Amino acid sequence: MRIGMVLPEAPQYSETFFNYKIKCLKESGYDVTVFSGKRSKNKYFYKHIAAYPVYKNKKFRQSILFISVIIKTFVTSPYRSVKLAGKEIKDGSSFIGAVKILYMNAHIITHNLDWIHFGYATMSLNRENLAEVMNAKTGVSFRGYDINIYPLKNPGCYKKLWGKLDKVHSISDYLYSKALKLGLPGEIPYRKISPAVDTALFKFKSDPGSIKSPLRILTIGRLSWIKNLETAISAIKILKEGGTDVVYTIVGFGSEYERLKFAVYQSGLEENVIFSGKKDHKEITKIMNESDIYLQPSYQEGFCVSVLEAQASGLLCIVSDAGGLKENIIDGETGWIMPKRDPEAIAEKIREVMNLPEEKRKETAKRARIRVEKEFSLEDQKKKFSEFFKD
Amino acid sequence: MKRLSEKLKIAVYSGNIPSTTFIENLIEVLSEDGFEIFLFGKKKKEMRYNENVKLFPTPVSEIKLVYFVLKEFLILFLKSPHLFKKCFGEVREKSRNIKIFFRNAGFILPVLNHQPDIFHIQWAKTVEQNPELFRLLKCKFAVSLRGAHINYSPLTDKSLDKAYRKYFPEIDGFHAVSEAISAEAVKYGADKNRISVIHSSVKDELLDLNPEVHKKGSKVELISVGRHHWKKGYHYALDAMKILKDEGVKFTYTIIAQGEIPEELLFMIDDYKIENEIRIINGMPNDELIDLLQTKHMLLLPSVEEGIANVVLEAMAAGIPVMTTDCGGMKEAVADRYSGYVVPVRNARSIAAKVKEFISEESDVKRELIRNAKMTVRKEFTREKQRAGFRNFYENVYGK
Repeated sequence: MRIGMVLPEAPQYSETFFNYKIKCLKESGYDVTVFSGKRSKNKYFYKHIAAYPVYKNKKFRQSILFISVIIKTFVTSPYRSVKLAGKEIKDGSSFIGAVKILYMNAHIITHNLDWIHFGYATMSLNRENLAEVMNAKTGVSFRGYDINIYPLKNPGCYKKLWGKLDKVHSISDYLYSKALKLGLPGEIPYRKISPAVDTALFKFKSDPGSIKSPLRILTIGRLSWIKNLETAISAIKILKEGGTDVVYTIVGFGSEYERLKFAVYQSGLEENVIFSGKKDHKEITKIMNESDIYLQPSYQEGFCVSVLEAQASGLLCIVSDAGGLKENIIDGETGWIMPKRDPEAIAEKIREVMNLPEEKRKETAKRARIRVEKEFSLEDQKKKFSEFFKD
Repeated sequence: MKRLSEKLKIAVYSGNIPSTTFIENLIEVLSEDGFEIFLFGKKKKEMRYNENVKLFPTPVSEIKLVYFVLKEFLILFLKSPHLFKKCFGEVREKSRNIKIFFRNAGFILPVLNHQPDIFHIQWAKTVEQNPELFRLLKCKFAVSLRGAHINYSPLTDKSLDKAYRKYFPEIDGFHAVSEAISAEAVKYGADKNRISVIHSSVKDELLDLNPEVHKKGSKVELISVGRHHWKKGYHYALDAMKILKDEGVKFTYTIIAQGEIPEELLFMIDDYKIENEIRIINGMPNDELIDLLQTKHMLLLPSVEEGIANVVLEAMAAGIPVMTTDCGGMKEAVADRYSGYVVPVRNARSIAAKVKEFISEESDVKRELIRNAKMTVRKEFTREKQRAGFRNFYENVYGK
């Protein structure tokens, strides 16, 4: 079976989820080709084909390339090209619009595939008719931003996709239910395949569930409003004012560093909050090992792998009730869930966890590790991915 | 020293002509007060000023810039060959390539050819850009301390932090928009004795407006005004609106902000299901804004950082109750439960609680609040007071 995965970029080393997905599929005997938007010099362990470039400022170069690519595509795949352009025009695009869509799909349309799978729902835009003219099936993955935010700015953007889909993959039931609200027909087959974690790479702490003084809290994530770190910082302020000795480490980088740095400064927490920037896997395991509580204050979340990794490492996880996090943690069993965007609630929950008997905390950490090993294992994910394209 | 009959020449420098609303206001105020105002920088739009304002703009287009620089060099050479030599050498040394050479020359030449008495830098960050070129000028330097440039930019921009510490001690005078910001600037080495706090002002005619006050217990209509930026704290305001909605309070909330609505706010409105209560309008001319303000019951400033927000002063003058966070210099304008409401920064619960408090207040109390707010403006934020402040400031800087 030949699968074409359509992604914005070829997955980098750090994007374990996609890399692993591709590896799983290959090992299960599928022929996988990755179609991406950007060219890159990296070497990949899979077939990788980049889209024809779009130059913004080089009009002449763009015109020459555009014309030659269109001619080449019409010559190599005349039937498909005409059919795609025809369908687009029937769907309401202008002639030029239809030819542009052909150009942006020219790197895919000439291949023979059984499945075209969009790695994010947004990747399907202007590609909805592609699978049909190639006699392939259409699959899509829901991952977070594509369902949570993109449609807010572009209402009705998936209307066309919903009519063409053969199968849906979502990393959480939450995202699937949100897609249903966006108009996804309920009869389209759906599989939830959660992200997985390689537990061998995350060593269970020697003192799981312990609390040190100062209390060491950790969050890993992009510095973006989505992660709602401002609320966490306000919670740290409440803890500090209440007399708790606390150090909060934020691992990650992003566009809102200034916003967060100012929040820390204004809250008088320069001694308590550390921005440690982006870290590699080895450094992250070390930081995990030196932390007590893992906090995920997100405002929205598809699922969140970091919370799985923290559970695997033996940290006490406190997460918000945003999106897929409710499927990631079982409240009171493997961690704790609190309302999003409420600093008082976070501070209260942290105090509550601190005051639990040591034994209780240890049990929670152990249960979390066991559940991650059982329900979020790579083996399990591999099986589910290979089944996904089978039936 | 100048004789009294001669006007002081003040270069109001922000980099652009026209500049932001409050700098344009400042130009207007100063030019009516016996100063000669020189404007340097890139001209973005045709502007009409009174006869005391002289424009020496630098062209934006490359071809015009080349011609402009050559012409200005020639004028400088004819005026002072010595200064010409110095300037040429300095600009050449500071420019990595020919493009930057022309940009730097285009910036400094008109100022050299039309030497002001005081070069007043409106944005503190400018001190970092051309410090060596500034040294060519034989005039006094003043720097305005406003908003982000002092309050948070240097927190993450270490080179800016260093530049402030290096050049602030050389500045002859600072104009601070609030007491609060002057305290921040001292941390970067600004001499406290050289800082003058001069509050901004609002048009006197706003004081004549008397819109209707909110009736106790009725639906409340709230409004915020200011660009989309995290420092405006609209996300905290929306958190508060969610609390109000959950508690069954009847309200609407309008945000007037230029530009595309940030994803964060879109997501919040959808997540909280408050589409029917919230309206976001993409910018509005000032006179229309004043009309709209008068139809609302309260102006809300949920910011985490401000100098002193002008829109709050305008609302206070126009008789609209205000609620502000205690950020920046806001408390210098608003006293809680006297001339408005003050809530802590980053605290949605407090905003919601105070809105409820406002709703349940008797009309007389609200009228008293409005009266006090108008009185505050009359005392502290009039054009006359601002003018006197700058007159004093410039005379001190120049006479130093």
